[in-house]
Amino acid sequence: MKTKNATGIGNAIDRVEGHLKVTGEATYASEFKVENKAYGQGINSTIAKGEIIGIDTSEAEKLKGVLKIITYKNAEKLKTFDKERPVLATDSIAPVLQSNKVHYYGEYVGFVVAETFEQAQYAASLVKLKYKEDATARFILGQNKDKAYNPSEESDYERGNLKKGFSEADAIIEQTYNTPIEHQHPMELHATIASWNNGKVLVYASQQIVEDAVISISGTFQIPKKDVRVVAKYVGGGFGSKLNVERHLIMAVMASKMVGRPVQATVTRSQMFTNTGLRQSNIQVVKLGAKKTGELTGLLHETLAYTSTTQEFQEPCGSMSKMMYNVANAAVSERLVPLNLQQPFSMRAPGEATGSFALECAMDELAWKLKMDPVQFRIKNDTQEDLSQEKPFSSRLLIECLTIGADEFGWNKRQQKPRANKKGNWLIGYGVSAAARAAPFNETHAKVLLDLTNDTVTATLQMDATDIGTGSYTILAQTLSECLNVPLEQVVVELGDSDYPITPGSGGSWGAASYCNGAKSACDYAIAALKKNRNVPNDEDVSIAELLKMNQITSYESQSLAKPDSEFKKHSIFSFGANFTEVWVDKDTGIYKIKRMVNVGSAGKILNPKTAYGQVIGGLTMGAGMVIAEQTKVEPNFGNFITRSFADYHVPVNLDMANVDVIFLPEEDKIVNQMGIKGIGELGITSVAASIANAIFNATGKRMRDLPITPEKLLMAEVEDGVTV
Amino acid sequence: MNEKIKKNSFLTNQIQVSLKINAKNRSLTLDSRTSLLDALREHLELNGTKKGCDHGQCGACTVIMNGKRQLSCLTLAATCEGANVLTIEGLAKKDKMHPMQGAFVKHDGFQCGYCTPGQICSAVALLQEAKDGDASYVTADVRNISKELKLSEEEIRERLSGNICRCGAYNNIVQAFKEVHSADDEMPTWKFATKMQMKSAKRK
Ligand code: FES
Ligand code: FES
Repeated sequence: MKTKNATGIGNAIDRVEGHLKVTGEATYASEFKVENKAYGQGINSTIAKGEIIGIDTSEAEKLKGVLKIITYKNAEKLKTFDKERPVLATDSIAPVLQSNKVHYYGEYVGFVVAETFEQAQYAASLVKLKYKEDATARFILGQNKDKAYNPSEESDYERGNLKKGFSEADAIIEQTYNTPIEHQHPMELHATIASWNNGKVLVYASQQIVEDAVISISGTFQIPKKDVRVVAKYVGGGFGSKLNVERHLIMAVMASKMVGRPVQATVTRSQMFTNTGLRQSNIQVVKLGAKKTGELTGLLHETLAYTSTTQEFQEPCGSMSKMMYNVANAAVSERLVPLNLQQPFSMRAPGEATGSFALECAMDELAWKLKMDPVQFRIKNDTQEDLSQEKPFSSRLLIECLTIGADEFGWNKRQQKPRANKKGNWLIGYGVSAAARAAPFNETHAKVLLDLTNDTVTATLQMDATDIGTGSYTILAQTLSECLNVPLEQVVVELGDSDYPITPGSGGSWGAASYCNGAKSACDYAIAALKKNRNVPNDEDVSIAELLKMNQITSYESQSLAKPDSEFKKHSIFSFGANFTEVWVDKDTGIYKIKRMVNVGSAGKILNPKTAYGQVIGGLTMGAGMVIAEQTKVEPNFGNFITRSFADYHVPVNLDMANVDVIFLPEEDKIVNQMGIKGIGELGITSVAASIANAIFNATGKRMRDLPITPEKLLMAEVEDGVTV
Repeated sequence: MNEKIKKNSFLTNQIQVSLKINAKNRSLTLDSRTSLLDALREHLELNGTKKGCDHGQCGACTVIMNGKRQLSCLTLAATCEGANVLTIEGLAKKDKMHPMQGAFVKHDGFQCGYCTPGQICSAVALLQEAKDGDASYVTADVRNISKELKLSEEEIRERLSGNICRCGAYNNIVQAFKEVHSADDEMPTWKFATKMQMKSAKRK
């Protein structure tokens, strides 16, 4: 697509909503002006499994300002699950306070509504619950392998003959890679202001997918969808945790119905550990075999993870292993163990972020065993066909990513031998990894309103899309500017309201492609219709202002949609990338620094390199977090999380991050969608952990297969066989 | 301008505080447990200051109080009698943004924007700390530190490490700060691979 307009797509313009964010004027969920609101506070269970056998609210009720205390005893009846452990989806119902059963430590068991935030918090602490504990609760994945079951969404995959594949191999590695529980922790706490008004619900909420929130609320309360309105103008980060409706929101709606006032509920940071989703721990086994020449002959990737005892979620850790390399014999499987822990769900690049750690570390291990350069080893096993789907890739520039990245990074200075590059006390290592992340594109509706005043057209776009930091406002403004050929100043973008046309929302790297193609279709439709009315040939260049004048109208409304076509379906659609990392490890303390990174991404049309860069470095930062510190620890006797604040769950801070060079490839993909857009929001986090771990091996000769790689673990680890110290 | 003090029949342990916020005198009747953060957000409709943890661990609630950065979630409003508080809403002069705000937009020093007011208040106060010659954890020699510091990249990163950005905009935040602090006009480090690079990569 050619860029016509100076502020159209492809340009690195500043975010259009930037001034609102730097002046504090952007309105997040709990910041809407709502009269007469009360405050709600959830109460969390303090056992992992059992029953509530007594509730004493007397002390709390005596407090001034307390309006209502809701427990399973007086809660509104909600729709509950009609089968055992249903699969959790982004539009699932979210029943809460429906029985006296407790399924995990931290589950909501009550909700207090009061006049002020302080009263609600204090009152919540005064509600006394008595439990009958069930001693059969289980918390530790590694100790419950025998309880594993095959998830209801069939995940076993096999091609070729694995046995034969491994028998043909000259070198084989088989290793186990462990990743801990991680939390998304967007900076904005989940929050809502919910009102129930004669059966009609209005919620201001921090949600990534507005439409699915509507479905979830209407399903949970068994009310018509049309009676639910969800507004999410600005979302302070999501990373998966705001894909679905969490239960504070349901409790706030319920409370509003019960007290007859709007109710604001903000979960606390420690409730962000127990009540807003997480990435579960995984135990992954990868076995790889290759010939001396480097061709892969067999690949096995088995994952054991946990789900909760109430719902099922399976992180597809084997997704990248299925399609990444040219290996004829491959098998991928996933098994789940139900544990008395919070229900897991998607966290940024579910499947790829963790799966790539196992696969790309294993690739490095095998390359070393084969005495091959790990970049060349990957190039050798490139494929232009997705063997798992038996479809060609719409575009795949992985070789370019690896080659250009290696050049830019100075890969040729890498010593193949570990511990060979030293500076004083520092051991210096270089690591590489390759990345692939699906680039979906889903049906998206959009409305464009054109208004002609004093010869100037103002174009307003409306869709229920969200901007969770991804830059939706900006790239959509650019799309309108481009498609209607009007300057950016004449474009207004209105998002995040279920009254607007339906989009798939933000998540799964489908946002940019879906939103922009949807918006384009509404623009194209307007132009085509206005031309047709006046018999203007389609290819004639007439300004949108001129077209409105020719039609003798001052306003026009067009609504249209974009969706994948048959070509899309005939191809396998992925974004590709490569990460290069330099680490410096202190040989005596195990403390290490990520010195620099080069990231190459091939993600179709880059709509705005500035916001795309933000997505990439954001992903790299979170990927670095996986390696340097992030983990949620489970207390083995009681099943509570030991880490429940930022003081013990460490996320990367400014000083932890390296300077990063990001290189985009000028990829033109004519198949994926009209605008050639592929996702980039999750490509950045994919494989980062592996490139850091591989760099640590190159520096120290130690294979670190358990995340996070803390200095003490690194110090205690033995060097690999065959590494000379 | 003094607002009339409201009586709140439902408040427990009522207290009254008068303070200056963004150059305006404000008088508040509050529950004695109210933090400065909640006073701003829930009682004054100043929602620019954000709540990211409520425990002094993330920096989202940073304001500038009597010239120094302060975590408003750890500050009881009751202790702010007579204080002079500057929030993100008060940084811009009329319609002109503070240079730090402009630099954050130019360098894309944010994504979701939720940590941003805290980052900016922190950065603005840090400009003054550098002028005053305050030491930090990475200062090489704390006994020998001059005023008017030109902060190194490591110093900037350390001194802004109290403000978490989960979106990971750190590199851009550092660049925004540098521009205002030392007129260093480095821009985000992205580029497109050239045609030549693409061609030779194919060949290999
Ligand atoms: S809200 Fe105050 S430091 Fe996090
Ligand atoms: S911009 Fe989202 S947390 Fe910093």
